[in-house]
This record gives sequence, structure tokens and C-alpha cells, in this order.
Amino acid sequence: MFHTLLQVNPIEGFFFGSGKSMVVGGVAVIIIVGLGLWMWRMEKRIQRLDETATRQTNSSNESAEA
Amino acid sequence: MIQRSWKIGGIALLAYVFWTTFTVPLGPGLLEFRDRNEAASTDGITKRIETYELIGLGTHWTVQPEELRLFIRKGDQITPLPVIDVIDDTHAHAALLLPDTLPSKAWDVLINHPIDGTLFLQNGLFVEGFVVDESAQLPRPQFEERSADLPHHFPFQPRIFETIRNLMLHVPMWFTMFLLMGIAFVASIRQLSQSAGGSSLFDLRAEASVQVGMVFGVLGLLTGSLWARYTWGAWWVDDPQLNGALVTVLVYAGYLILRGSVEDERLKARLAAVYNLFAFVILTILLMVLPRFTESLHPGKGGNPGFNSYDLDSSLRAVFYPAVLGWMLLGTWMYRIRLQATRLNQKLHRLNDE
Repeated sequence: MFHTLLQVNPIEGFFFGSGKSMVVGGVAVIIIVGLGLWMWRMEKRIQRLDETATRQTNSSNESAEA
Repeated sequence: MIQRSWKIGGIALLAYVFWTTFTVPLGPGLLEFRDRNEAASTDGITKRIETYELIGLGTHWTVQPEELRLFIRKGDQITPLPVIDVIDDTHAHAALLLPDTLPSKAWDVLINHPIDGTLFLQNGLFVEGFVVDESAQLPRPQFEERSADLPHHFPFQPRIFETIRNLMLHVPMWFTMFLLMGIAFVASIRQLSQSAGGSSLFDLRAEASVQVGMVFGVLGLLTGSLWARYTWGAWWVDDPQLNGALVTVLVYAGYLILRGSVEDERLKARLAAVYNLFAFVILTILLMVLPRFTESLHPGKGGNPGFNSYDLDSSLRAVFYPAVLGWMLLGTWMYRIRLQATRLNQKLHRLNDE
């Protein structure tokens, strides 16, 4: 199959015939899982910052009222 | 718990999609049935013998070579051709043993094999030097379509070959964009239905949704353009579906530019909401309606092998549907983060002003 595929399209034949597709698949999985972890951390940070900002807004409102 | 599980689920689905997209092999198919230009022998006046070479891709013809059966078909007429020799897994020689009078010059080529199943090459044979009589009848052999006896594989599509894997990236990008622009559309309606002094939360939702939707739209254009370069040989062709997709993305770029050009917050919210209603209508027309009424090179349209209900077989569905769901979940998550970040930004600005 490898040789025939090489004749049809050299890049496809090289990519799938030499097992490099497994490496690319693995790297893609690592990237998407890494993206998920990064988004997870970012969301948590934003939530923490949001809580801090809300507390500060409330305290500044209270001091203004006082 | 639910908050956490849908996000993990989305990433897990995409990890599955990426892994299967790049590792599941392509199924077997027929590439060519060509004249070897070697007249083998002649069999009297009414028969002629020419040898042809049958070329497959990913086929297994050396396994049970005696079971390889070759047929040509035109409409409901089907006739066998003898396989002379199986050279290797993907090459075999056949004899063009046919009567002098045939009902057609152009024939589809089919093979039956216990491992590869029934494979089909549309208009794979064009015969010359035969008398064509549409009423001619050929003897009908026993022909039964067989399914492949192979592990999970993607279907072979002529000309598309391995690029069929782009289906898992390109199409879900547009679905996700459509979902996000739909969220923006609903938010814009709710923004407009509020009183003039109402909260700008819906406006922020619409903005965040369009921003993330634009990311998916641009990714959709890039994956499509890359595929076109590889399959059609051009980065872009003048095609209604492609141009419609580009115009849609540009219309939404206009939405973001409009927002950036108005200072007054209330005016900006109302103007952007009205613009967004029209943008979504244009999106629906250009991506969903217009392509159904025009000829297009795009897969799934007339004259081109594509991913219609026949081509999208169960092996593709097992990856395509999770891909659509996974990208949509990722897009929704990105939209939520973007919204949270925008709201936080507003809060911090207010704190700074105070």
C-alpha cells in the first residue's frame, strides 16, 4: 500500500506509510489536552479575580455610603 | 459537577477525535483501470481480447487471489471480466473479453473480494473499437455486493483520498460558528427587547459570542483553503459556497469594527444588536440556503464526491458526530471564559474610575 500511495501522492504516502500519523495524532491529543488544562486554569484565575473585584467594589460602596 | 463534566467531556471527545482522525487507516479503493496496450490474442470474429491493468489502493488481492472478481456495469447491465493475473496486493491484470456490440462505451468498474468487499470505480472503463447499440443485452452474471472484512477504516473517496480526515476539523468549525452566532443572535434580540437603560449583559454576551465565533469561522476558512490547495490545486476558487463563507466572516468582522467605532455604550449596544440580527440572517442565507440552490465544487454538492448521506458511512459518523459535539463544547467554553474576562475587565475599569 505504501508504494502505491507514494505514487498517488508522495506526501500522503510518506505520512501514513511511515507511521508518522501516530506521532501527529499523539501530538494533537497532547495539544488539545494542554489547551483544556490551560483554559481550566485561566477560568479559575478569572473567577478568583472576579471575586476579589466584587469584594473591593462592595467595600468601596460601603465606605462611600458611610 | 455538571459544570466540570461537560468541559472534561468536550476535551475528551476532541482527544478521541484527533487520535482517530490521524490513526484510523483509509479503506481500500480502486484507482485506475487502464489499457496495457498489449493485445494478447484474438478469439475469432466476434470477440477481442485486450489486457487491462487494475490498480487499487490499500487492497489485499494477494489474499485469496482466486476470489478476486471483476465486473463492468452500465445502468442495470453488468458483465464479468476475467482476471488473468494478480501481480501484488494492488495490481492485477484482466482481459477485456467482450462481444463486438456493446450497449455503451463508458462503464463503471467493480470488483468483489472477500477482504476488500465490493469496490467501485465510476466511469473507470471507456472502450473504443466496439459497435455501440443501446438495445444490446449482455449475459447477466450472479453479482452480490459484499462488505469489507477489515477493521475500522475510513471510506475511500476518489480524488479525496486521505484528505477525508479534514471532515473532522473543517465542518465542525462551521457548525460551532453557527452555534455561537446563534447565541449572539438571541442575546441581541434580548438586548433590543430591554428598555433603553437596561443592563448591557446581553450586549456583552453577543460580543463575546461573535468574537469566539469569528475564531471558528477563520479556522473554518483556513482548513477549507488548505484542503482546496491540496485537492483542487488552488487556495481559493470562485465558488458560491466558498465565497458565501468568506462574506459571512467579513460581515461579522464588520460587526466588531462597528462596535469599536462607537464611543457611547448604549448607542453601541443598540446599533451592534441591530447589525447582529441582519448578520445572522445573512449567515443563514449564505451558508445554509444559497448553497442548496447553486452548483458548487464543494464536497456534498452535485458532480463531486462528497459527504452526503451515502458517503458519510458509519465509520465516519463514529468520529464526525463526536467531533461536532466536542468542538461545540469547546466553543461554548471559550465563549464563557471570554464573557467572564470581559465582565471582569468592566469591573476593574469601574474600580479604577472610582
